[in-house]
Parts: sequence; C-alpha cells; structure tokens
Amino acid sequence: MNLSDLTTMELIDVDLKGTTKDEVIDELIAKLDAAGVIKSSRKFKKAILKREKENSTGIGFSIAIPHGKSKAVLKPSVAFGLQRNGVDWESIDGTPAQLIFMIAVPEESAGNEHLKILQMLSRKLMDETFREQLLGVQTNEEAYRLLSTIQ
Amino acid sequence: MKILAITSCPNGIAHTYMAAENLQKAADKLRVEMKVETQGSIGVENELTEQDILEADGIIIAADKTVDKSRFVGKKLIEVGVQDGIRNPEKLIQSIIDGKAEVYGSKIKSVEEYKKEMKSKQNPVYRHLMNGVSYMIPFVVVGGLLIALSLAIGGDPTGKGLQVKSEFWNSILSVGSAGFTFMVPILAGFIAMSIADRPGLAPGMIGGYIAATGSFYHSNAGAGFLGGIVAGFIAGYVAKWIKSWKVPKVIQPIMPILIIPILATLVVAALFIFVIGQPISGIMSSLTDFLNSMKGASSIFLALILGAMISFDMGGPVNKVAFLFGATMISEGNPHIMGAIATAICIPPLGMGLATLLNKKKYEKEELEAGKAALAMGLVGITEGAIPFAAKDPLRVIPSIMVGSMVGAVIAMLSKVGDHVPHGGPVVAVLGAVDHWVMFFVAIIVGVVVTAFMVNALKKDVQS
Repeated sequence: MNLSDLTTMELIDVDLKGTTKDEVIDELIAKLDAAGVIKSSRKFKKAILKREKENSTGIGFSIAIPHGKSKAVLKPSVAFGLQRNGVDWESIDGTPAQLIFMIAVPEESAGNEHLKILQMLSRKLMDETFREQLLGVQTNEEAYRLLSTIQ
Repeated sequence: MKILAITSCPNGIAHTYMAAENLQKAADKLRVEMKVETQGSIGVENELTEQDILEADGIIIAADKTVDKSRFVGKKLIEVGVQDGIRNPEKLIQSIIDGKAEVYGSKIKSVEEYKKEMKSKQNPVYRHLMNGVSYMIPFVVVGGLLIALSLAIGGDPTGKGLQVKSEFWNSILSVGSAGFTFMVPILAGFIAMSIADRPGLAPGMIGGYIAATGSFYHSNAGAGFLGGIVAGFIAGYVAKWIKSWKVPKVIQPIMPILIIPILATLVVAALFIFVIGQPISGIMSSLTDFLNSMKGASSIFLALILGAMISFDMGGPVNKVAFLFGATMISEGNPHIMGAIATAICIPPLGMGLATLLNKKKYEKEELEAGKAALAMGLVGITEGAIPFAAKDPLRVIPSIMVGSMVGAVIAMLSKVGDHVPHGGPVVAVLGAVDHWVMFFVAIIVGVVVTAFMVNALKKDVQS
C-alpha cells in the first residue's frame, strides 16, 4: 500500500484560497465531498472541529493535520492543500500553517493498512527536506507525485 | 545510555508517530539508544519489554492520553504532552541525561509490584511451567470440589470405603472426574503454548492426553502430571523449532495451523508410545506408592519440608513447586499432601496479621495496615499477604513464618487432614473440601500462634 491509495489528484490543491483556519477546513472538506469519500460534510466537520478543540493540530513546522474519525467517512482518505501565505492555526509555536493535510478515517474499517500509511506520512513530515520539497511544489501533479513516494 | 519513550494522542493517527519520529531522531543525534512505543489507533507497536525497562536510564512519556505508568516504578520519568515530544525532543532527552527527571513511584512496594518484579526475573522454563499450572488449577478445583462434595453428602460408608449410591450424586461425581480428566492435557497444552504460541497448543494437549493414558504404551498407570510436564515441554520446543524452519512462501500460511501441529504431535506421540511413556509412568507409580506408604517419622519429614517450602518465598517458585506437588497428588488419590500444604499456605499471612494485633509497638503504621490486609488474604489462602513484612525484614520474618508453617503442616499430616482442592486457607474447609476439618483448624491456629509469637520475640520496637 502507498499513500496514493488514500489520496487522488482531485483531493490535492496547491493553491488554497482560504485565509482563516475555518475557511481552509471548509475548502478541504468540499474536496473530500466532491470526491465522494464522505457522506455528510456537516458530520465530518463536527469530527474535525471536535479534534481541534481538544488540542490544535497545528504542530508547527508550517504543518497542520486536521483529522477526524467519523461514520460519515466512506473511505479512508487524505486531502492535501498548500496555502502559500499561511493561515493561523493556533500552533503552539505561533507560526502559520502552510502545509495542510486533512485526514478522514472511517469509524470502523476492516484492517489497519490505511493507519499504517498515515503513520508513515506523519513520520515523513518530520523530515525537513521533504517539507521543503512540498513547500516548493508548483502544480497538483508535482504534489501528487511527491506524496506517492510515501509507502 | 538507553532511554525509552511512549507516545500517544487522542485519535492516534498523526501526532503519536510524529513525536515518535522526532524523539528517535533527536536520540540518534545525541547518540543515545532510544526505543519508542507508539500507542496509536493501530494499537500498541514496538512495545517496551520488561527487559527494555530494566535496562533503561529514563522514560519519556509524550502523551495527551493516560498512559499506564505502573511498569515504570523506580525509573526516572518525564511526562509531557505529545506536542512537547514533537517540538522539544532534544530537551526532553537532555533532561534525562542530566539526571533532572524524578524517579517515579513510592518506596513501599505493593504485593502486585513485588510479584511482577519476581515474574520478570523468572527463568523461562519456570514461566512456561507456571503458565500450564495456572490454566490447570481451575480444572483441579472443579474436579476436586465436586468429587469431595459428592462423597461427603452422597456417600455411604461401606466395607470398601465411601460409595456413592444416589444417582444424582453419582452424576456429580462423574462430572468431577471429567474435570480431572482434563487436568494433564491442559497442563501440557498450556506449557507448550507458552513456549511456541498457538501452534504448540494441539501437540501439547494431545501429548498430555497420551501421557495420562497408560494404554497407549501398554502400561496400567498413566504417566500423570510428570508425564504431562514432559509432554508439554517436548511439544512446545519441537513446535518452536519447526517454526524456525525456513520454508517457501506458499507454505508459510499453513505452517501454524497444519504443518507445525501435525509434526509436533507425531513427534511427542512417538516419543511417549515407544520411548519415555513406560519409564515415566513407572516413576509416577513408585512415587505414589512411596507417599501412600509414608507413616510416622517419614511423613513428618515430608510435612516439614513442604511447610518450609510453602513459606520460604510466599508464592514464589519454591512455594509453587510444593503446591504443584500437592495439587497433582490429589488426583493421584492422595489428598493428605495437599492437606498439609493448605494448612501451611495460610499461616504466614495470618501469623503476621496476628502479630501486628498483639504488639503494635513493633510495627510501623503502614505495616499495621498491611497486617489487616494479611489477615483477609490468609483467610482465603493467599500466602503473598506476608510479602510486605518479609520484604522489609526478611531475616526475622521468613524464619518465623517457616517455623509456623512447618508446625502446622506436621499437625495436619499426622491428623490425616485431607484437602481435595488445590487451594489453602480456611476458605477450603468452608467450601467442604477438607477431611478432618476440626484438626485442620487446630493445625492452622497452632501454626499462626507460633509464627506470631516468634516474630514478635525477634523484632525490636519501632523507634518513633
């Protein structure tokens, strides 16, 4: 299994328009909805916000990983967006988030292959070189190719 | 230097692994050996072993979720949120290196902690044996108790001893015997499973059944628990050995369910049928005959040894060997060994409990509390209740409880106290599993009093 099993070209947007955390979340949820991997945008957003309330997922390093586990998710998926100007994500180091990964995981799903992939993604994001490469991508294709190297 | 870490977050999808990654990286940079256990939504991965914890110089917990810390008593421990693990891994490791972390846990060990510690020090052979024994005990309890009840209530004294005539009690007797039938196979099966995991279970149980059934190897008597232990170890180690074979990938999936069980079963069966079945059953028969023929001086000697073993390490390996011996002798038709053991089992905690009540000046406040707990544990036959006392002052406490248990065991043995279940303390008499229960209580009381007076005579007053 490979990260490309969890994401597709239509789930990637290297040119996010939103300027606030809430707008960016809505933008990425719309992508997931359009791709048909979630049943209800409203329910999934509730799961995302619930997690954000516990603790901001803005972990610094210009990264935010809003994620939600919900019955509204049909297929484990990852949406990726790049907001070049950065948005305030209430990160603990105060830096704005530029690389935003939205992770959607079903409440119950057979096997845990997808969790392993997400683990690899999380680990990979701690690699500075990889982050810089991601920040430098120009097109959705480029981003997709880079993410597909994660396995 | 070796440092361990645990990372965990509420959803267990991302942060857990980021913290793990960064801690590992920081450790590599600082040239520190590091192992990170992740508790994510996949479950626990890269789990810390007892050995890891034993060797570790410090533990870092970076979690936004409660992590069980009981494993880390006595270790330097830092606890922070998962974010800190991601952001400041080097700082966390550095403070362990600098010795700034505080040692986790209190200085007085509970019975549970002590037992856990003992367990980690055990050698594997003993651990496998005890795994088998722990699964076997319920079968012996059910079998022994039902047989004892049906004989006590439904039995009529005849010239040939007790005979059960009523149909109802006869059925209960048969159910009890059925429980005993499983005893040796279960013992062998779970010894083998402890060694080789699930593939070992079938060879072990089948091997145990063959060991217990003399007709397989033209012998009137089975090889009993001794045969069961041998069968379990052979089955387990053979299965483990086959598991280590390098086989083509196509065969791999059927190894654990087909190849390993069949081959290991055939090996253990052939060994018993053609080689070791007869000699072991011979040893068992002569052992049983020897024990049954023991009278007077030699039975006193046996009771002294068993009593001393039971108290010596209060539930540790020496205690368990004596206990196992008594438990298996029940099914060989000799409940008197267990009778002496059941008496000895409860004397250490009851004796120490009584000692704290008799002279409060010789015990600290915590010990007075432990004394109450010990009394309760003694009543239900848990020797471990005396551990807090013995751990604190072994040279005075252990001899006292050993003498008390030896005295009690001898009285029980001489008065033919019999115990039909593998458990000790007054509770087994209440359940009706003890023959000559009046003398059982007399033996306990004498032993308890001896222990209490002896330990109080040896101990000095606590300075306060």
